[in-house]
Amino acid sequence: MTNLDHGKFTRMTTVFHSLLAMDVFFLFFTGYAIMFNDELWWMLTLMGGSGSVAALHRVFGVGLLALITFWALMMVTTDTGRSNFSEVLPTPDDAKAFVQDIQFVLGNAEERHPNARQFAGGTADEIPLLSYVGKGVIFIFAVELALLTLSGLLIWSKTGLMQYFATQTAAIAFVVFHGLLGVVMLMGIMFHIFEHGFHPAFFPVETKAFIPRSMIPEHHDDDDEGTGIERLQLSSGWASASNLAGAATVIGIVSVLTASIYDTGYPVSLELLVGGGPTNLLLTVGVNIGMLVLFFGMVLSVYGNLVRIRWEQQMAQEEGAEAEAAD
Amino acid sequence: MSNSTTENGVSSYSGTMIAVNAVIAVAVALGAVWVANGFNVFYERLDRVSPTADGGGIGTAFAQGNDIGWLVFMVEAIHAIDVLMGLFILVLVFVHWSAFRRLAGRMRQPGESRAMPDGGDTDTENGGDTQ
Repeated sequence: MTNLDHGKFTRMTTVFHSLLAMDVFFLFFTGYAIMFNDELWWMLTLMGGSGSVAALHRVFGVGLLALITFWALMMVTTDTGRSNFSEVLPTPDDAKAFVQDIQFVLGNAEERHPNARQFAGGTADEIPLLSYVGKGVIFIFAVELALLTLSGLLIWSKTGLMQYFATQTAAIAFVVFHGLLGVVMLMGIMFHIFEHGFHPAFFPVETKAFIPRSMIPEHHDDDDEGTGIERLQLSSGWASASNLAGAATVIGIVSVLTASIYDTGYPVSLELLVGGGPTNLLLTVGVNIGMLVLFFGMVLSVYGNLVRIRWEQQMAQEEGAEAEAAD
Repeated sequence: MSNSTTENGVSSYSGTMIAVNAVIAVAVALGAVWVANGFNVFYERLDRVSPTADGGGIGTAFAQGNDIGWLVFMVEAIHAIDVLMGLFILVLVFVHWSAFRRLAGRMRQPGESRAMPDGGDTDTENGGDTQ
């Protein structure tokens, strides 16, 4: 049992991750109910129409601003935070890990690269804190969240900051920019849900983001070669569940990408199509499947926290039993 | 099969029935709302943002004079970034999906006995799906 596999983050990070996830999920649901209103009309209506949804989006936006400010402060003002900077920096090994992942899929490599391995098992000594995907997630999300927050604040009030850009046209361009910027994040989160929900060794969720590493006992047998994954039993539901989720993730990503290409809206004079494009049944189904993937991610996040609570209770019980035995 | 018996002899519900009844329950709930709503498929007449300039959509009021070059470029650029990142993310999804399948092939399959096979010459031991 290693804390790379079962509980990798500090308690602060696990709580932060869950709060950030919830906030971002609700920002997606409110934001894309507006931008993809052709396909997600029901979501817009369910949340009280465009006025209500825009208000909710701002509420969660404030939440996001608070969360990322808190995170930036924690990273700069604490020793633990500062020591993480070196862990995040990309190395040549990360590029090798990506190439080796492709080789592994093609059958030309026997193992995933240590910088790609999600299940460390007996090879915990070789595994860095963050995989190449993990580093990418941190970099891309940091840039995305900063730009989204900035453009979000700019369009917060059309008579506030936006007046510096002088025209309403510029305002709508920023609204469009804000929505299109979020699409990268939207697609990335769908992948993130698949990546951490459907690894066969961890299915249905990797607890490493939910159980603090302080709660995981660290011991592993060094005499084993390799990860030891062949000693784990595959869940009977994994095959169908991972195929279903993989298909939904691919359909969701392709659909929101396609929908975003049509949803331009700038320059407005030529053809105003905010939420335009073909009224297409296929696209409607696809975008809704994408939202389903997000919803599923939210459920998994809650489930991860439930697992942590059960683990806490079990640890407390075992400690209680040991204390009694000692008496 | 309306119920099944678990290993320790306690009667319990079968997974199939739970799934079927859950689907029926969702259909009944949505159907009831549909009936209460008046038998119309309701999507086109709800509060959509009118998506065209003719329909009075967002920004119709200022559908003039938007020739700010850098804003056009910014929106075009982010479209391109969306497409490039989307394709890259799709590659990552497929790589992980396939890698997971290969790793799953190395694990003990559901229902397989707990003992390790002797000699280690079974198909599953070295990733049976590498061919």
